[in-house]
Amino acid sequence: MAAVLALSALGIAACGGGDDDDSSSGGTVTMELWQNSTTGPGKAFWEKTVADYQNAHPNVKIKLSSIQNEDLDGKLQTALNSGSAPDIFLQRGGGKMAAMVEADQLKDITDSISAESKQAVGEAALKTGQVDGKAYAVPVSILPGGFWYSQDLFKKAGVSTPPATLDDLNAAVTKLKAAGTPIALGAKDAWPAAHWFYFFALRACSQATLDATAKSKTFDDPCWTKAGEQLKAFADTKPFNEGFLTTSAQQGAGSSAGLLANHKASMELMGSWDPGVIASLTKDTKPLPDLGFFPFPAVPGGQGDPAAVMGGADGYSCAKDAPKECTDFLNYILTKDVQVGFYKGFNSLPVNKEAQAAVTEPYLKAVLDAYNKAPYVSQWLDTLYGQNVGNALNVGVVNLLAGKGDVAGIIQAVNDAAKKG
Amino acid sequence: MVADQVRAGGGEQPPPPARPRRRGIGWAQRLEILALSGPAILVFCTFVILPVLLAGYYGFYKWKGFGPPTNFVGLENYRTIMQDQAFREALEHNGLIVVLSLVLQGPIAVGLAMLLNRKMRGRSVIRVLIFVPYVIAEVIVGTAWALLLQTNGAVNDVLRSIGLTWLAQDWLANPKLAIWTLLLILTWKYIGFAVILFLAGMQNIPEELAEAAAVDGASYWQTQRRITLPLLGPTIRIWGFLSIIGALQLFDLVYIIWGQYVASTAGTSTMVTYLVNEGRNAGNYGYGSAVAVVLFIISMVIALVYQRFVLRRDTDGALTGGR
Repeated sequence: MAAVLALSALGIAACGGGDDDDSSSGGTVTMELWQNSTTGPGKAFWEKTVADYQNAHPNVKIKLSSIQNEDLDGKLQTALNSGSAPDIFLQRGGGKMAAMVEADQLKDITDSISAESKQAVGEAALKTGQVDGKAYAVPVSILPGGFWYSQDLFKKAGVSTPPATLDDLNAAVTKLKAAGTPIALGAKDAWPAAHWFYFFALRACSQATLDATAKSKTFDDPCWTKAGEQLKAFADTKPFNEGFLTTSAQQGAGSSAGLLANHKASMELMGSWDPGVIASLTKDTKPLPDLGFFPFPAVPGGQGDPAAVMGGADGYSCAKDAPKECTDFLNYILTKDVQVGFYKGFNSLPVNKEAQAAVTEPYLKAVLDAYNKAPYVSQWLDTLYGQNVGNALNVGVVNLLAGKGDVAGIIQAVNDAAKKG
Repeated sequence: MVADQVRAGGGEQPPPPARPRRRGIGWAQRLEILALSGPAILVFCTFVILPVLLAGYYGFYKWKGFGPPTNFVGLENYRTIMQDQAFREALEHNGLIVVLSLVLQGPIAVGLAMLLNRKMRGRSVIRVLIFVPYVIAEVIVGTAWALLLQTNGAVNDVLRSIGLTWLAQDWLANPKLAIWTLLLILTWKYIGFAVILFLAGMQNIPEELAEAAAVDGASYWQTQRRITLPLLGPTIRIWGFLSIIGALQLFDLVYIIWGQYVASTAGTSTMVTYLVNEGRNAGNYGYGSAVAVVLFIISMVIALVYQRFVLRRDTDGALTGGR
């Protein structure tokens, strides 16, 4: 498999040399844009945005490609390696972006981000597109994580207010389990399970430790062990749905999002793409009417800020050889009206602060509230530390939850991974 | 045996007639050979030989898959593989699956083939039913079994509703059970293939042999044991070869049923799920290539050893030139 992939990379590299991208030469500029929405309002948003931009800039032509989300990373990697990369493309950030920067495949856009964009988006969000102080992507959407819950089920079980501390959460879980509605967890996909560890680590480790670990990739600070022990103690109360190890996250009514959508589970810990996923899994495929949000509760004794938030930011990058109009387009998609359109098309929080005023859903407002109150926002740890470490964390946490491994096993798995990458 | 004979009496026998004729191949014939085998050789080299060589090349690097590989590490990837507990576990699971697939599927398939080789009512219906699981795509089979065997799935529901609550188990996630669940599914899925092979093999056994045995007063079981089974030998050995290679490369069913990560926790990981997990999911394409090379070598060695010691008598004439 790897061999085939390697072959395709080489094969295309061999014949990709003569196919230079058009650079702007005063005349018409053609650019290719890759995004991941293939149907519905999300795709419609991109079509309208591109059409509007072309109307305002008659010399620019943008070819829009909709690529299935799961296929995008692989296709993009092949295209980048072969020198036939799209000019503008979806950027997931973190370790992958760092690898692209290292291979000199991205355009440095540090000086091209306009003052208006900086003003509208803010320093904290823009940071998600930077590597070593230089900008290589602009964020378009913020996706902080936290608990998505059913207000009706909370009421039914006698939980009046969303838990604010770990003790509250434990008490709430006891009541909710008695009512037959546990926490949903899709551990078959592993990353939802790993998110639990990340959030405990966010509370246990200081911001400085999180950043330092991104560089050193060694997990020797005692806060990591502490986070693991806290997760183990919490998991030992058996708060999750029965058979969570073979439950997937997003596929079908039996998945964790499906359990929540059908009131079989009371909550799940997830990023803010979750409302859309849950909506697609309700019986009438409409948004869950009683959906609510609360941030990860405070955990006593940690070095992290109890109000800190973790989440990702989807962004867009320009390829190394893209024409300069590319960055102009990136500035354009950060303007207020386009961002409002993005929010409506994807039901996801826009990064432009003025556009955020257009958000009406109470649960998204709760997310925004938590986001704006947070003293700092950490990237998802698997994104921050790269695919290799994230993969090892996935394995270690699943083992811990299955009772096969211990906390030391997580740390060991991460250190083993360093040898492979 | 043929080769031995030739060697034994080599001096006195005239040279085999094939040699002189080959020397005289004309241009037309060469062109014909080139035209007919060229495309196949080209495709084979491009999609089989070249990737293997490239995997060998990438296996010496630490490489994230972006840009050309630059970080040469020599044999370090291979050292890491050998020391990795997860790889050793995957190797053990593969070994277990290879052996138990033969042990479980072989006798059952021979029995079923004997049964279906007799004239009886509903024979073709049973043949179809046994063969159906083999025809269904792995992904569909995997998804169906994953749903049925979930903790809250249909299997446990049925067991509970007929009062066998104690038998309701965590079939997939329990590390003590999961490998057996996998073997059960594998047997169900691939038994049809073995049965069809054996049936075809039995059709090739001349009926006169059974008739002659019957005239001599042999019972049905004696006929099966002394005539059918020995003559079925070549078919069984070829099936064994296919089964071993398939078991070594087992991937799709495990990946669909257990997902990307739970397989190693549940104890059903295989070398290929390890390769996908550590190569593709972790983005370590250099390391993944090294794993691919190890997998290739292991499969190659087992295949050659099997060819040499088990298949030799069946393929003797075909592979050694002979007459």
